[in-house]
Amino acid sequence: MSRIWQIALRELRAYFFSPIAYIVLTSFLVLNGFIFWAILAAYNRPDAPNGSIMQLFLGRTVFFWINLLLFTPVITMRLFAEERKSGTLEVLMTAPVTDTEAVLGKYLGALFFYAALWAPTLIYVVILRRFSPIRMGPIASGYLYVLLIGAMFLSLGLLISITTRSQIIAAIVSFAVMLMLFLVPVFVEQSASGVWRDALSYVNSWGHAGDFGKGIVDSRALAYYASAIVFFLFLSVRTLAAKRGR
Amino acid sequence: MISVESLTKRFADAEAVRGISFHVDKGEIVGLLGPNGAGKTTTMRMLTCYVPPTSGRARVAGFDIDEQSVQVRQSVGYLPESVPLYGEMRVEEYLRFRARLKGVSRAAVAGRLDYVMGRCGLGDVRVRIIDHLSKGYRQRVGLAEALLHNPPILILDEPTVGLDPNQIRQVRELIRDLGREHTIILSSHILPEVEQICGRVIIIAKGRIVAEDRTSALREAMGGGARLELEVKADSGAPGVLEALGAVPGVAAAREAEAEGEASATVRASLECAPGQDPREEIFRLAVARGWVLLGLTRRQLSLEDIFVNLTTREAEPSEGSSMASIGMETPPGVEGGGEAGPEGGR
Repeated sequence: MSRIWQIALRELRAYFFSPIAYIVLTSFLVLNGFIFWAILAAYNRPDAPNGSIMQLFLGRTVFFWINLLLFTPVITMRLFAEERKSGTLEVLMTAPVTDTEAVLGKYLGALFFYAALWAPTLIYVVILRRFSPIRMGPIASGYLYVLLIGAMFLSLGLLISITTRSQIIAAIVSFAVMLMLFLVPVFVEQSASGVWRDALSYVNSWGHAGDFGKGIVDSRALAYYASAIVFFLFLSVRTLAAKRGR
Repeated sequence: MISVESLTKRFADAEAVRGISFHVDKGEIVGLLGPNGAGKTTTMRMLTCYVPPTSGRARVAGFDIDEQSVQVRQSVGYLPESVPLYGEMRVEEYLRFRARLKGVSRAAVAGRLDYVMGRCGLGDVRVRIIDHLSKGYRQRVGLAEALLHNPPILILDEPTVGLDPNQIRQVRELIRDLGREHTIILSSHILPEVEQICGRVIIIAKGRIVAEDRTSALREAMGGGARLELEVKADSGAPGVLEALGAVPGVAAAREAEAEGEASATVRASLECAPGQDPREEIFRLAVARGWVLLGLTRRQLSLEDIFVNLTTREAEPSEGSSMASIGMETPPGVEGGGEAGPEGGR
């Protein structure tokens, strides 16, 4: 456990040693600030949409997904690709560290960084509360959703980062796979029927975002994300074992 | 401390290590010697559990590399060839992270850091960023890292490659010093280095062990085998001189050591003596008879370097644990010097 923690801490620090952390943090906040402003502007018009502002902000706009699909691959691309390219993976894996510990440590490091990205947006909640009464329950579940979808994408990105030495390839492939994972259920569900329709609605991230934003914490969705994370991390451990020394 | 039994590693496109077996006892410094691509690094990577072997077994510090890999790694300090380090970290910070990762307790970390940094001479650079360090200091950071958890065994892959002569001397001294407390395997393609540091040599070529013996025994096994360096001025030209020299009794082989310009009448030749023979007198008489001007004639004992060239340029045959005496000494034509001699390689 201590070794996982040591790797996670180093991983988190490594983000801040490189310019990536600052570029990602800044552009993420600028984009999110703009999105938040755009949603507020839309609600100020007479034909304002239904629903709460934070529900839209946490997953029910296209901008949220663009943001997520842009930044999660950037967070995960370096995790293993960089170590494989520079050769430091050899030093890491010849320390008394198991493959599982290495994968979990790096995953936790990425997850902390992802959480650090979102933390400043809590200030929007503070701002909103000053001007109107809002319910905190749906906001809490909305943030839980942000954490879940991020945790799944990060585990997927980590897996892809193990398969290559090139960070750029890792980022592009991660982006493509994540985009498909998001788009296919949303668009195919409309035309599917029967069992397929049910199956696709079960993995429909857009739908999940809507539920969690309203305060509905669906255990089926929790099970989906948890099992996807475990699955990708398991594959990561196996892939790492196979890729060592290649 | 280390026992290896017919360890084999096959990659998709090549067989890097073909069934090697050897033992290393506690307190030994063993040199793994071979040209680049002989399988030294792959062997070390298997012993440090980085690459799983295709077949064969090995025990390191009593632990099986397949089944007790974490214990093996806990017992081994490893310095990979390219010394990969997290370049963005500071020296002390990096070593602290590695110490914690290797299970050094929080209370003991400060003491271990002071010890390894003192041992490897890193006191002046403890707060420097690793990427800004010279190659010599990087090498020392790598060595310090290997020592952090005080492992009984050190495995060092080409520990002096890429260093300048001063740094090489320092690192060699450090390794010899460490040999008093640790069992060490180091790889090298530099012969004088192995002759200086190691008590025993394992010579690898094309994934197989071609010779294995104590450093001193390897030279003794060569017996009277010696080499003559000859320099004559002759009008007949190099081919004629070499042919005549080859016919002298006691000369096993003769070849041109260094081609002079077309116009020059000077011929430099390198002669392999048959064991126990000293044909210098005959050569002198030959020179007189032919009217050659003898400019130089030197006899020197065959060094490990010559042995090495002989062994590693031959087609590697499976000859595990073979002693030197069983290996013929004919020099393949066109081979000059000893692979890549180190900066101190000249005699």
